[in-house]
Amino acid sequence: MKKIAVCYKWVLSDTDIRVNEKSRELDLEKSKPQVSEYDRNTLAAGVALKAQAGASAVVGVTCGTVTEGSSKDALSRGPDAVYYLDDAVMASADSSTTSKVLAAMIKNIGDVDVILCSEASSDEFAQQTGPRLAALLGYPSVSGVAAISVAGDSLTLDRKMADGTEVVSVKPPVVISTVPEVKDAPIPSVKDILGAKKKPANALTLAGIGLSADAVKPLFTINSVLAPESKRKVVRLNPEGTSIDDAAKALIKQLSTDGIL
Amino acid sequence: MADYDAIVVGAGLSGSTAAYCMAKAGLSVLVIERGEAVGSKNVTGGRLYSHSLEKIFPGFADSAPVERKIVKERISMMTAESCFTVEFASDRLKNPASASYSVMRANFDPWLAAKAEEAGCDVVCPAVADDLLRDGDKIIGIRAGEDELTSDVVLLADGVNSLLGQKAGMKEELSPHQVAVGCKEIVELPKGAINERFGLNDGEGVAHLFAGTPSNALVGGGFLYTNKDTVSIGLVMTVGGLTTSSLRLPDLMEAFRESAPVKPLLAGGTVVEYAAHLVPEGGLRMIPTLSRDNVLLLGDAAGFCLNLAYTVRGMDYAIASGQLAAETVIEAREKNDFSNAVLSGYVSRLEKSYVLKDMKTHKHAPAFIEHTKRLYKAYPELAANVLADIFTVSGPSRLIIRKTLPKIFKAGPFGLLMDGLKGSRAL
Repeated sequence: MKKIAVCYKWVLSDTDIRVNEKSRELDLEKSKPQVSEYDRNTLAAGVALKAQAGASAVVGVTCGTVTEGSSKDALSRGPDAVYYLDDAVMASADSSTTSKVLAAMIKNIGDVDVILCSEASSDEFAQQTGPRLAALLGYPSVSGVAAISVAGDSLTLDRKMADGTEVVSVKPPVVISTVPEVKDAPIPSVKDILGAKKKPANALTLAGIGLSADAVKPLFTINSVLAPESKRKVVRLNPEGTSIDDAAKALIKQLSTDGIL
Repeated sequence: MADYDAIVVGAGLSGSTAAYCMAKAGLSVLVIERGEAVGSKNVTGGRLYSHSLEKIFPGFADSAPVERKIVKERISMMTAESCFTVEFASDRLKNPASASYSVMRANFDPWLAAKAEEAGCDVVCPAVADDLLRDGDKIIGIRAGEDELTSDVVLLADGVNSLLGQKAGMKEELSPHQVAVGCKEIVELPKGAINERFGLNDGEGVAHLFAGTPSNALVGGGFLYTNKDTVSIGLVMTVGGLTTSSLRLPDLMEAFRESAPVKPLLAGGTVVEYAAHLVPEGGLRMIPTLSRDNVLLLGDAAGFCLNLAYTVRGMDYAIASGQLAAETVIEAREKNDFSNAVLSGYVSRLEKSYVLKDMKTHKHAPAFIEHTKRLYKAYPELAANVLADIFTVSGPSRLIIRKTLPKIFKAGPFGLLMDGLKGSRAL
């Protein structure tokens, strides 16, 4: 097997996203970028596959904005090198443009015959990048993969279905979309983090991979992102002077009326 | 050959300062920090007295993420219905050699750690140093998960609990009377509100301490510091005091935030962060073994913190201890001797510096603050009663002395005199 490429996305951490209660808009100010949670598992799967298949290398590939900062984090998760494309124009990228850029990057890297993508990213969750990438590269696309094993010059892939598992065999080149079960992602150790500094992080540019800024124009625009409306009853059971006992009785009455008790 | 000359556990102020100074001298240094991000585990009230960092980074405040320069000091004595406040504002508070700044550790610590990294340190975060690595009795590094990392010296800047300091046999487990617990809320205010409400210009801040009702007559007090667009308010209470009382810190915090003197200052604000942390307040008697073969203790781990009721200091001592630890390690590197014969030079350096001198000068302060209960109830009440008599007019007047003396007698003149004498020797 030649090289394994694992695509990963540098997304904003969703734990620090705050919701403006009035406008329901998202406040992303406190969110820091990180390797998408699903992609950590996929990187771990790529590293395991390299060992199992004796591939020549496993590389991380990403495109977006401020992706230069992702290389240390991604490298600490085991790949031999990362390739990143960092361009402000990617701020409005959608799945079609992202897959176009990734395909061009992978061609530029060369000798890649297994490409791993997570089924979806933790921010957009469009579930399109893997299949689109396969179409652009002209490779088969296998989605929903929960386990990968090597059988001679083929890969045996377990596809997680709604009510069972489908096992498929495929000869690389192939694009595989993985679900998180594919591999647990260990927390990088101190030595992994220190080792990441010594591995190559390669910057690619749109011009360098033969794409114009026009080629990465998104095909749709996002008008708004709003948190779901949360409706609360706002019943206060202990207004001034109500004893705890009375408040508790009122609460029981309220809950029974609402059919909760 | 060890992996590093020095491993620093903890990227707080003492750890990062030590790491920076050692790397500047050409030593190889690894800093390991357990927080998700540098600074994420660290809490200050807080104000940084800048003098110790100024020596390492002259003019640092121009580029470091400080919040506001403190130009106003306020101290309040609160009772349930009164509040007596002293305010001191002065250009002398702005002198760079003695200025202080409100800081947020989540912003400030990453800046300092980045300086250490720029100087050549490896900073690994998040990663936990679980244990010390030993060869027989000799400490030769740290264990982090499955990784073993070796160094000639380990600098423990791992905070007030310093579990590794305990494992190194340099420190006992904390006892309740040695530590206070601080909690703090960060309240975001509308733009411009801070300058208007506190009478400040851009970049200028106020530090405000409160005694009396905030601690509900227990040992402790409230604080308020203005940041850029937020206000930090909180309480610090002794753990010993809280454990013997039925009061809960979150309830006291709520009452403090809703109290008459504080509430209007925060009106329309949103609590955006809540934090709590232990504060070493044991003073000189709590200072652990600071050096042994191959190990030094720094900052909060070493108990370098001083609460004098009117000022609370810890961060400037932490920075100074980091610098002195680095000097000692640089000497040990030159002599290629990391035994306590050379490393104990850290203790002599601390003794010659204000770090241990201050701890000695104020060695009675922790006991005075813990045992002078009148500070938290009787004296705020006395101040309130005297001033209420002076300022309330409802008919005929009397001489001030006639108004005040009975109150002083009520408060207990002998106790007041004794506390005054004791306080003058402790604070």
